[in-house]
Amino acid sequence: MGTPRNRRVKQAGEAPEPSGSSRRDFIKTAATVGAGAIVAAPAVASGFDFDLESFFQKNFRELSEEELDALVKRLSRKYSKKYGKDVSVSAIGPMDGVLYGYGLDISRCTGCRRCVHACVEENNQSRDPEIQWIRVLEFERSEALRGIDLKDGNPYYEHKEVPDEGKFYIPIACQHCEDSPCSKVCPTGATWREPDGIVVIDYDWCIGCRYCMAACPYGARHFNWAEPNVPAEDINPDMHVIGNVPRKRGVVEKCTFCIQRTRKGRYPACHEICPVGARKFGNLLDPESEIRYVMKHKRTFVLKAELETKPKFFYFWGTEGRS
Amino acid sequence: MDTLRLFSQFIRGSIRVVAHGGAGYYIWLAVLGVVMAAGLFAYGNQALNGLITSNMRDQVSWGFYIGNFAFLVGVAAAAVVLVIPAYVYNWGPIRDVVLVGELLSVAAIVMCMLFVVVDLGRPEFVWHLMPGFGTPNFPHSLLTWDILVLNCYFLINWFIVTHILFMAFTGRDYNHRLVLPIIFLSIPFAIGIHTVTAFLFMGLEGRPYWHTALLAPRFLAGAFCSGPSLTLVVFLVLRRIGKLSITDAALLKIGELLAYAMAVNLFFVGTEVFTEFYGETAHTVHARFQWFGIDGQSTLATYSWLALAMNATALVIFVAPSLRNRMPLLAAACVLAFGGVFIEKGMGLILPGLTPDALGEVYAYGPSSTEVVVGLGIWAFGAFLFTLMTKVASAITSGSLRSESA
Amino acid sequence: MPGAGNDPGKDRLPGNQATIWGTLGLAVVVIVGLSAVRLEHQPETTRDYPPRPLIADGPAVMKPAPEIDDEYLPCRDCHTSPDRQTGPIPRELEYEHEDTELAHGNLWCLHCHDPERPGRLRLADSSLVKFEDSWQLCTQCHAKKLPEWRAGVHGKQTGHWRGPKEYQTCVECHEPHAPPFGTIEPKPRPKRPDEIIQPARISGEEQHGDS
Repeated sequence: MGTPRNRRVKQAGEAPEPSGSSRRDFIKTAATVGAGAIVAAPAVASGFDFDLESFFQKNFRELSEEELDALVKRLSRKYSKKYGKDVSVSAIGPMDGVLYGYGLDISRCTGCRRCVHACVEENNQSRDPEIQWIRVLEFERSEALRGIDLKDGNPYYEHKEVPDEGKFYIPIACQHCEDSPCSKVCPTGATWREPDGIVVIDYDWCIGCRYCMAACPYGARHFNWAEPNVPAEDINPDMHVIGNVPRKRGVVEKCTFCIQRTRKGRYPACHEICPVGARKFGNLLDPESEIRYVMKHKRTFVLKAELETKPKFFYFWGTEGRS
Repeated sequence: MDTLRLFSQFIRGSIRVVAHGGAGYYIWLAVLGVVMAAGLFAYGNQALNGLITSNMRDQVSWGFYIGNFAFLVGVAAAAVVLVIPAYVYNWGPIRDVVLVGELLSVAAIVMCMLFVVVDLGRPEFVWHLMPGFGTPNFPHSLLTWDILVLNCYFLINWFIVTHILFMAFTGRDYNHRLVLPIIFLSIPFAIGIHTVTAFLFMGLEGRPYWHTALLAPRFLAGAFCSGPSLTLVVFLVLRRIGKLSITDAALLKIGELLAYAMAVNLFFVGTEVFTEFYGETAHTVHARFQWFGIDGQSTLATYSWLALAMNATALVIFVAPSLRNRMPLLAAACVLAFGGVFIEKGMGLILPGLTPDALGEVYAYGPSSTEVVVGLGIWAFGAFLFTLMTKVASAITSGSLRSESA
Repeated sequence: MPGAGNDPGKDRLPGNQATIWGTLGLAVVVIVGLSAVRLEHQPETTRDYPPRPLIADGPAVMKPAPEIDDEYLPCRDCHTSPDRQTGPIPRELEYEHEDTELAHGNLWCLHCHDPERPGRLRLADSSLVKFEDSWQLCTQCHAKKLPEWRAGVHGKQTGHWRGPKEYQTCVECHEPHAPPFGTIEPKPRPKRPDEIIQPARISGEEQHGDS
């Protein structure tokens, strides 16, 4: 059926699918007149930004290079105007020979939640209603004697100072699974795994059925229950189309390994802010990378390994003699 | 051309029929109209402000709407429960009322679809999952399968009733060579909608409460309780207001079938409870939440026990012939079974699957007023649709609506 | 109702036809069940991205430590006085050093500081190094940390995972006189689900020039 065609295996020089595009063009023309009027009326009346061009936009994976280029330019203009600053939206693709991996040293994490808030600021998450991609769970060391059970974790801890006596902390965000249950269940193909291992969402394509949220074993996916709200002065103008562009109401979002940073070679925001250096990030295909050193020399584990989702987010105990 | 002319006559006649009725009919429609208007208003509020008007949050991302959806898929089996005895066993007394069962199925599927649509964050983009327009993730996403089988089942039932009614309207017998195979096709599809809907949940490896092979059989068992229960009550009402002639024998036969269905349903609940609690693991936490509550959050547990009590009481009545054969008791048992299954296969199925959430947090979800009113509106719309369709059907079968040429 | 007045046997499906339908239904179930094995792994369908070579890796540099010279540390001003002589025996810290918490194993000032050249650090072999090379001093004892730090696993790096990156030296994170981390104030906790409520609607004024 109409599943996005696997363009990676498509033969070079193969003609573009004419039936698909002409059919869409026809639909576009026909529907613009009819449905446009019906759909636009209430949307405009309710004051949300709406334009036909974005309404009939194709799935990100099916956009041609030219269409993607036009989209990027349009969004840059739109958000520069909206937020009154020089916003640059990019669609920079994956680098060859890169598979991202993340390591987190739970012997170091102090539960200070700086990563949570740096992530919110970097990725333009809604401030009210609050959306946070990283959740830091606090565990009792004594309870961990019978193994780590996530249900013992408490994300709502409040202390004057951390780490609290006898506690340890596990920050959890998207695990960027190789066999991601979320992308498997998505009915519209609005979420998928990129060649560099980042699981992304096409926010313009998501219909908000939240099946992926039911499927995700890590609670990593978050829904825009109301119109997201980020003050213009707090907007991060360095944006990526399938990363931190402002989201719309009624779509799902989640960690993208800071795709707008990492694809340019930079560290993710949570990595940069961590005051204790508990976060490690790099290319799993590069034997010299930090993450490969961790894999080789430390004992790593992944969350809910029994589900065989093959996460690319590894937890490890980095410090000898520290308990 | 002739058929087309007749069909337009059929439509106009139907409109005439639904527009005229007694005082009771108008009052009933008015009540439904008020509830539908309230539902529409509540949905307008939700459409304007987003799903934040519901009590669903990231921790419990599906609730009342999807619970109703799962339950109503069961109700949609009403038709097939009548089709099997009527056609497979050629049992006359039930064959007379198959049509009403089909209409009930059509109404239930429409409600199913509405419950899914109101649950969407961006319903204006549903075309993204239509082949040709969008990019349906077929065959990987079970939701695309579900949409497919639900629509097929809807079309099958809709075609059968329209065809039979239209032919009766024109005074001809329906085309047996055409209708019978389609009726038989509806049997695998009825089982299909339950199986695939159950697969939606069973396929999620991250939700251990749902990740059990027993879920699909439980769906079927629940469906064979709720569908016929509702059908039986509807038959009683229709018979009371003189719109349907159905023998006691047919009703009692349905009651007998309900005894089997409810027994199997409770047996499945029992096996599930045994598996969860005898060898308790970390995954049992969901069943614990369902039956006993966690951290003092035991509202769902209260409802679960209530549902069990209702179902058990209904079973006793269904099983004992001396009780079952008394019509008021049988009706009461049907109401109990319907209510019990509504809790058990609705919210009782959705909420424990999502609570505690993937990271172990317990959020005690209960529907918001917006969700309840929207839900009531959809139920009222289903009842409205069923009322109109039944009115047309009974007018045609009683002979008061006939084509001029017939 | 339809069918009521018909010959009762007419609607009955012939036995062989029922068998065909039953078999067909079963076959469908079996096919769907078996296909689940194939469906478990979704083929990766993604954009047809143009090739993009790995960007050049950059230099890894240490975060420069402040240049500290002898003039900056006017130690001789006091330590030349006979009653304030430095010495190898640990004792109560006083005067200027009163606020210094010394909690680094059994180490005493002169294990690391040179009384003659206070702007330098002294290694175990008596050679002197600049303050910005303090990591050489630290790794004399914490030798196991050195390869991990070099690999970027112990400690913190900023900048680029691929491209120029900056290593923080030991003393950027650890107070050398009392190296274990202290506690810090955490950022606010997330909102509980029941605290996430509909935000007050911005009536009239459209925020941030939203059109």
